Amino acid sequence: MPDSPILSVQDLQVTFATRQGPLRAVDGLSFDVAPKEVVGIVGESGSGKSVSMYSVLGLVRDANVQINGSVKFQGREILGLSDQEMQPIRGGEIGMIFQDPMTALTPVYTVGWQIAEQLRAHSGMTKQQARERAIELLGEVGIPDPRKRVDRYPHEFSGGMRQRVVIAMALSCNPKLLIADEPTTALDVTTQAQILDLMLKLQDSYNSSIVIITHDMGVIAEMAHKVVVMYAGRPAEIGPEIDVVRNPRHPYTWGLLGAVPRVESRNDRLTTIPGNAVSPLDIPEGCAFADRCEYRMDICTKRPQLKGTNSHLDACWLSDEQRLTIRSKAVR
Amino acid sequence: MTDEILLKATDVIKTFSTRSKKFGRPHLATAVNGVSLEIRRGETLGIVGESGCGKSTLARCLVQLLPTTSGSVFFEGTEISKLSRRGLRPLRRKMQLVFQDPYASLNPRRTVGDIVAEPLRINKFGTEEIIRERVRELFRTVGLDVNSLTRYPHEFSGGQRQRIGIARALALNPSLVVADEPVSALDVSVQAQVLNLMADLQDKFNLTYLFIAHDLGVVRHVSDRVGVMYLGEIVELGEADELYDRPMHPYTDALLSVVPELNDTDAPRRERIILKGDVPDPSDRPSGCSFHPRCPVATERCAVEKPALVEIRPGRSVACHYPKNAG
Repeated sequence: MPDSPILSVQDLQVTFATRQGPLRAVDGLSFDVAPKEVVGIVGESGSGKSVSMYSVLGLVRDANVQINGSVKFQGREILGLSDQEMQPIRGGEIGMIFQDPMTALTPVYTVGWQIAEQLRAHSGMTKQQARERAIELLGEVGIPDPRKRVDRYPHEFSGGMRQRVVIAMALSCNPKLLIADEPTTALDVTTQAQILDLMLKLQDSYNSSIVIITHDMGVIAEMAHKVVVMYAGRPAEIGPEIDVVRNPRHPYTWGLLGAVPRVESRNDRLTTIPGNAVSPLDIPEGCAFADRCEYRMDICTKRPQLKGTNSHLDACWLSDEQRLTIRSKAVR
Repeated sequence: MTDEILLKATDVIKTFSTRSKKFGRPHLATAVNGVSLEIRRGETLGIVGESGCGKSTLARCLVQLLPTTSGSVFFEGTEISKLSRRGLRPLRRKMQLVFQDPYASLNPRRTVGDIVAEPLRINKFGTEEIIRERVRELFRTVGLDVNSLTRYPHEFSGGQRQRIGIARALALNPSLVVADEPVSALDVSVQAQVLNLMADLQDKFNLTYLFIAHDLGVVRHVSDRVGVMYLGEIVELGEADELYDRPMHPYTDALLSVVPELNDTDAPRRERIILKGDVPDPSDRPSGCSFHPRCPVATERCAVEKPALVEIRPGRSVACHYPKNAG
């Protein structure tokens, strides 16, 4: 896309100093988010997908953390900004949706108060204006009878309705970028469908970009234009959604896609990735996936760099021919 | 799979009363509302539904971990819903459970070898030496290192812990294993390992599974037959592929249409049916068909007349006045 990116992450490194030594939660993550683009970050637990985005927002406050690299939001470096400088960005220009809507909302204030608070903090509206806008927003996210519901407390809403409230809050200041961390993981499928649908609709009317973090490849396939597959804090594969899903290049992505039981068809056996995810305290010098990879070669003790053609990149030493042979054998 | 019926439930109802101490009258929530089903020896019956639909409560009633409010449950020909706790005890060993959360279902203060040996000791399986040998055999069966018997649950990953839970369930050679969301706490790659293991064990020991899950893909993958639950009722029951390819109940249809799919083929995808609203409160059921307030094809009849689960074709039942794909 020709437009300059809304968010540009370059070589992000997040390391926690622990008693057992340095814990590399994120190691060399780079990607861009173009205007109106939906980028999906996918990975299993502990892959660093959430930590990376929390670091981008300056929300990782551990005293033992070391964050390096560069994060540019609309061309401006935001990594290392003080809280005061971040304040208008967080919740203003960058909206956030968290996994668990019950922890994202405070139980002791009405939802209307919580949305209005954000509006007053970021746009200097009066109490009355903010309340009116909150009612408008609740209506927009599909909460029936918003004028009555605005004075209700979070516990009076169902899980799906709470997530709608959180989305209303995230959108209240017309953010350029929305960061959604597992926004539907706590929800049932029918509710998940409502929420994903709502997010895409609102993205269209608000013209925002979205970074969605999830472990569910299906959600990625449904929402994202671009996919970042993370393993052990490193990007394993980055590319347009359709290419990554239909023509995955990294052995980890092959395993990840093959392991998902499908609703549309049944195969007798699921592909598995042997072993368990590597401990972030103990990531090998070379390819982080090598220990679990069936196609490991001698060279895999050296770390592969992200490379590829056009926008589809991956970090693996296999040559194109090798991949072709492996894939033609693997495909039923 | 044989035609022998291992477990048969008829019109099982389970109500819970939630009594607010200070205000209002006690109200009754019907978690399971008249479920009848059969489980055949050697098959996997999958029960799928969203949270709060009563699938776990149903599973617990079927193995009498919870007393049923009414209705009957027969296991291997014995009416277990009538038995006392003591009367049930000899049958318990034949009905084992695998739980969702491998962190909460293993005692953190006991070694994993002890955890797996416990059912053997309680049931006086044999001498300590025989029990130890049996535990080692179980560990090998589920793919765990025999040298880790003296370690504690926290030293294992989620997938390994679920293997320990499975080893414990298999210790007494059960005929029925009830697995309640056994893989939903696991990452996909590990989930696939556990699902494959469960399939292998089923072949090896001719196990019968009652597999409860909310993940529609997982349920299709493991099940021979599937029951779809909504608000405490089975709304559709049938052979897995048949039910997924040609759903009859509008709820099943909607549920299947909204599962995010990997769209990696050119096959046309189902038209998405996005249901409005939330699942109603089980203590305040809608009149008529429980699904009618959210149903895209509901008519006035649905608000008044409750559809029974009827067998449309052999082995294929649906509870709807206007089933799809029924012709």
